[in-house]
Amino acid sequence: MTETVKLDVGMGLARPSSHSVFLRIWRSHRAAISRLAAFVVFFGTWEWSVESGLISPLFLSSPSEIVLRLYQVFADGSIWQHIEASGATAFWGFVLSVGVGVPVGVAMGRSPLLRDTLEPFIMAIYASPSVAFLPLLIIWLGIGLASKVALAFVGGVFVIIVNTEAGVSSIDRRLVETARSFTATEAEVLFKIVLPAAMPFILAGMRLAIGRVLIMVVVAELFASTAGLGYLIYQAGALYDTAQLFVGVVIIATAGIVLNVFLRWLERRVAPWRRAERLSG
Amino acid sequence: MIEVCAVSHGFVPVGDGESVVPVLKDISFAVEAGSFVSLLGPSGCGKTTLLRVIDGLIVPLRGEIRIDGAVVKKPATDRAMVFQEFNLLPWRTTIRNIEFGLELHDVPRRERPARARAALQKVGLERFGHYFPHELSGGMKQRVGLARALATNPRILLMDEPFGALDPQIREIMQLDLLKLLDAERRTIVLVTHSIDEAIFLSDRIIIFGANPGRILTTIEVDLPRPRWAKDEEIKASSTFIAYRKQIWHLLKQELQHTEGA
Repeated sequence: MTETVKLDVGMGLARPSSHSVFLRIWRSHRAAISRLAAFVVFFGTWEWSVESGLISPLFLSSPSEIVLRLYQVFADGSIWQHIEASGATAFWGFVLSVGVGVPVGVAMGRSPLLRDTLEPFIMAIYASPSVAFLPLLIIWLGIGLASKVALAFVGGVFVIIVNTEAGVSSIDRRLVETARSFTATEAEVLFKIVLPAAMPFILAGMRLAIGRVLIMVVVAELFASTAGLGYLIYQAGALYDTAQLFVGVVIIATAGIVLNVFLRWLERRVAPWRRAERLSG
Repeated sequence: MIEVCAVSHGFVPVGDGESVVPVLKDISFAVEAGSFVSLLGPSGCGKTTLLRVIDGLIVPLRGEIRIDGAVVKKPATDRAMVFQEFNLLPWRTTIRNIEFGLELHDVPRRERPARARAALQKVGLERFGHYFPHELSGGMKQRVGLARALATNPRILLMDEPFGALDPQIREIMQLDLLKLLDAERRTIVLVTHSIDEAIFLSDRIIIFGANPGRILTTIEVDLPRPRWAKDEEIKASSTFIAYRKQIWHLLKQELQHTEGA
């Protein structure tokens, strides 16, 4: 059905003088229609190639099978222990990243000496793949919650430090001077000027950190775990249960997308002036 | 009364620990309570630096500021500043921007909204309390800047080229409104400007600065009748006004030709 619509739209485009309904819909919703078409083609092809036997379900499950399995694991409640395990790890890893990353970033942004001192270390660890630390973290902390939280923390903290520092050091010095002229103390400068001004940067750092934390949680669970979505994915892979495997992937991706959209919304909420600057600039 | 006592200031350029580039050289004058004094001069004459010294934001290398006899060490609640670039906090609404000064002056929380609204009314923006700075025009932003300073009820109002970023007509309207406001509440004003007309129209006294290093060339008492806002067109066209302008321009022209030509 959709393909027929697409075809008509295409013909409408070939005759620009035509004022058909399809042409008008196409013109006002071209991005949405194009996206929908790509979506249908992608999943249609996928579904067809599995259902027709072109690809064995051992290697790739069909979208309908994945949706069905998703429904089942939520219906029988078996998925919750994994979501809870991964959720707890991600939560603590993220909270620690923010709790350490924001103060360190603020301190580095406010003190050039501290920044110059710490920057090489931060950049070195930031640039190296955090996963490489997992075996070390397991030696230190065992294979329980602690080592996984630690890896999520290593994955998330540096991007928050770097973004917070950028936000704090790019602050408008005239605003700080204004506050001082109105007799602000150091603490008042920090809480009334520095933190609000850096908030969009801090939130951007948190948004980037969430993605990294989720990756680290899954990786840590692949390595050493008895529960969690990473563990679920690993088990499913070992059993060639590709539908189950995708259940894990879909849940993690959904969590990532939802949190990302939420933080983007929050960024715009706290900094309405930046959007206005972008529009006028 | 503000006393500026033998103030000299300079800065050490980056990468040079030896020499000090002089910015202000041996500045002394006094501003009587309730009077309006303008610091007029070309760019680079240190007048903005001097205003920050008076506020207490900058500690001069030599000399001191006394306000009613007490030496200024840092900013205090008896002074408030209005800035050329407005310096409003972009994440706060108009009313919250005005409350900002009150918060820092430790005005009790329950008194702030009423005082902020009263200040907003004074500058004629009572309908714009919930607007953000990026939604206001330049003139409106500076009205908020002025309201923020006035809300703290300062005895001394320091204005750093407050209308310099506004277009010429808005600038003149702002001057009129400032004079109207000050008629109702007498304050001591120190205004930094490089507009000769603005200095004459607003001030009781103009202190004229030369540049490199900043120093006082002369002081002119402006003898024009007040209130000036009621008859601004006549005053600006009067022979007295034009004579002041001619005298000041003659002086500044000589100074500029001397320094720029060197």
